[in-house]
Amino acid sequence: MRQRRIRWVSAFVALGLVAAACGGDDDDSAEGDDEAPAEGGDFEAQSFDESAQCGTDAYAGNLASIEAVDAQTVKFTLCNPDVAFPSKVAFSALGIFPEEQLEDAASGAIIDSPIGTGPYKLEAWEKGSQIVLTANEDYWGDAPGIPTVVFRWSEESAQRLVELQSGDVDGIDNVGTEDFATVSNDSNLQLIEREPLNVFYLGFNVDKPPFDNEQLRQAIGYAIDKDRIIDNFYPEGSIAADQFLPPGIPQYQDGAETFTYDPDRARELLTEAGYPDGVDLGVLSYRATVRGYLPQPPQVASDIRDQLAQVGITVALDEQEEGAFIDNANTGALSFYMLGWGADFPDATNFWDFHFGVGASPQFGTGFDDMHEVLTEAGSTVDEDERADLYAQANELLLQHAQAIPIAYGGSAVAFDAAVEGAHASPLSNERFAVMSEEGADQLVWMQNGEPSGLYCADETDGEALRVCEQINESLLGYEVGGTEVEPALAEEWESNDDLTEWTFTLRDGVTFHDGSTFDANDVVASYRTQWDAADPRHVGREGLFTYFEALFGGFLNPPPAPAG
Amino acid sequence: MLRFIARRLVSSIPVLFGILLATFVIGRLIPGDPCQAALQERATPEACAEFNSEYGFDDPVFVQFGSYVGDVFRGDLGNSLQERQSVTDLLIDRLPVTLQLSAAALFIAVIVGVPLGVLAGSRHNSKTDVATIVGANLGVSIPVFVLGLILQYVFALQLDDTPLGLPASGQLTAGVIPDPFYEVWGIGHNSLFEFISNIDLLNAVLIWRWDIFVDALQHLILPAVALATIPMAIIARMTRSSLVDVLGLDYVRTARAKGLRERVVITRHALRNSLLPVVTVIGLSLGTLVGGAILTETIFNLTGVGKTLFDAITGRDYFVVQGFTLVVAIGFVVVNLITDIVYTFLDPKVRVD
Repeated sequence: MRQRRIRWVSAFVALGLVAAACGGDDDDSAEGDDEAPAEGGDFEAQSFDESAQCGTDAYAGNLASIEAVDAQTVKFTLCNPDVAFPSKVAFSALGIFPEEQLEDAASGAIIDSPIGTGPYKLEAWEKGSQIVLTANEDYWGDAPGIPTVVFRWSEESAQRLVELQSGDVDGIDNVGTEDFATVSNDSNLQLIEREPLNVFYLGFNVDKPPFDNEQLRQAIGYAIDKDRIIDNFYPEGSIAADQFLPPGIPQYQDGAETFTYDPDRARELLTEAGYPDGVDLGVLSYRATVRGYLPQPPQVASDIRDQLAQVGITVALDEQEEGAFIDNANTGALSFYMLGWGADFPDATNFWDFHFGVGASPQFGTGFDDMHEVLTEAGSTVDEDERADLYAQANELLLQHAQAIPIAYGGSAVAFDAAVEGAHASPLSNERFAVMSEEGADQLVWMQNGEPSGLYCADETDGEALRVCEQINESLLGYEVGGTEVEPALAEEWESNDDLTEWTFTLRDGVTFHDGSTFDANDVVASYRTQWDAADPRHVGREGLFTYFEALFGGFLNPPPAPAG
Repeated sequence: MLRFIARRLVSSIPVLFGILLATFVIGRLIPGDPCQAALQERATPEACAEFNSEYGFDDPVFVQFGSYVGDVFRGDLGNSLQERQSVTDLLIDRLPVTLQLSAAALFIAVIVGVPLGVLAGSRHNSKTDVATIVGANLGVSIPVFVLGLILQYVFALQLDDTPLGLPASGQLTAGVIPDPFYEVWGIGHNSLFEFISNIDLLNAVLIWRWDIFVDALQHLILPAVALATIPMAIIARMTRSSLVDVLGLDYVRTARAKGLRERVVITRHALRNSLLPVVTVIGLSLGTLVGGAILTETIFNLTGVGKTLFDAITGRDYFVVQGFTLVVAIGFVVVNLITDIVYTFLDPKVRVD
């Protein structure tokens, strides 16, 4: 009897040991489709198909499904065609994180200590002082030319320049307007101008009289001396705008016809519009906030007012508080205003469609059918030559309808120590420090305008944060060094179906995250799903807004209900 | 003495309460909406309604003040609307920077200003006296930011490759991240230890890293000299005029009549009495330095109290404005108390009274 009891106890103990060995982690995800595959084990592909929600009132986005076809292949399906999808996918806010770190998003660790696959990993962040990155020794690409990059910041351009000149830092962002010559004339430094990727424009709500008069709008276009505005109020490198797209966007048209300064022509058009003795247009609205496309808003507004007065057009200036101004613009409450746009991603659709396409911002009024037609076709065409022709037509239509008068592309520049090789300025402000080197130097110190608020760039919009993130986290695609052309990154190739609604990415093999875990398609799915689904428990960041995801793809799944009014 | 200290502490309470009230009212009077400043383009009416409800900005003003006073007594200074930190954490990060800078500036101001004042006062109406006064006036007249830029130009740029070269920034050399002393010692971490470890010079000594100490000192020289100039000039002038007054008193005449050397007359008999008003000026200077180093911090890229306060005011970050102002005010009160205590040791008449 006793021996039998011993046998039973032994059996139970053995069963218990076997169960313990086979048990999972304590922090199993709630949903089975969030489980991470075992290292070296079978790959359990994840997929999320929300295509049933396309076009419904509950969902405004364009993503329909994300599927890990296998460990090295990810497929995206869209509700509608999007020719700019690769350009969006390359954006910094869509960097790929390890699934495990995303599971822990609620702790906030991802904001201060992101893990990525990039050429640099985060070594230390001394709040208020510096961020130190060190080279990723297991990087899949070329090893960084400089082992350590230190980020520092100062709001004052003069301070940044002094530190560069004294050798305390090796590169600075946003050289002051008055310092371009100083840097250019210093043989120890190199000035690199950043190609403008923004546009400043005068806008009209064409539904509001008297701005419903096309000839009146055209008259204003010919009344503006853009060169005078550039010379007096913009830094070197700024250019008078000749179309709505800035030169850094691939679909920019060389030699496009534009409004030139011609006061006589302006007066003629005013007469044709029914105002032979001039006209009082009420107010010109603007905000005082400095932007890359508009460095001196009050001064520019005053100058435009004065220029319009030369041809008999009277306006009063209406400076509005920033939040109220944007709100008014977004709701179409402004009749005549100054505004601008900086590229979110380097494709014409980011400029044209947002402002003049179907479903565009109401700031310009109801829009024009001919413009809608051209832009819809251009956004669905893969052939670049065909797109070029279509956007040339869009330029002509804008010249005719004149809902907006492009005025300037705001320039800027970076400066480096002359000994830094590979120094460059990115039009998107995402300089890649891994390609830089300096003989005998094991550290490069970069000084920018401000400190990042967080380093989980899925939930950041500030360029100061995005620049740091881009060294740590990579997206499926990237932008060429110093340019805007899309190139492979974590995905080594990609393709679409004919109607641009299915995009398949082949991932690089053998890539590891900074924590040693293997990168695979499930990490891509998790990184996108985390942002896409507002009800996902991992949809947590510094602010939880994921602004760029919403802007790029149109909306979230399960968006939170709008606050009661 | 204890009764004296206790009396002074009790009398400080209404002062602090008044400061609480003043900063609260002034903060609310600043034009602009904290919601607009915090949320900017996301500041829709709905978002602001939620924001104001969360932070109590939609309560009556007296209710807001009552909540704030209650929180302060519980040690809760609130959270920054702009940064992702509590005001207390911000203080732990930023106040040490300013304290270190201010202490260094005051040290320079005293060790240069007092001897200069003694030199001028002991040679009243001489060329030395005139030169010192002119120099002092010059020191008071040059704006700090001008002096700071000049110092940077001379020592950071022109003398860069010489032994006299100094860094343009007040921060440690890029890439240098000293370990906090409590980690090196293996003791527990708390707010006080973190505060102390953020004083670079002190932390470097505590972890026995003289290379970091030297680095911190090199980076501190230019901003400290720039900041020290005005208090140095004031201390020199006050020392001079006070010494001149004391040297005219009967007991000093007696000391001379007894045949004592002039140096002994000044250092052993006159100086101590002439330092009484100087001690007051030094105390006031420290308080001014802590709260007013914004220009120096900006020029030398230091994130201290001054810069934080400036950003908070422009960003309508009420809790930071209130919290930092309160702490600076408490510092003022403490410094004044210490000044009064020092006074009692210097002047027996005060002790007797």
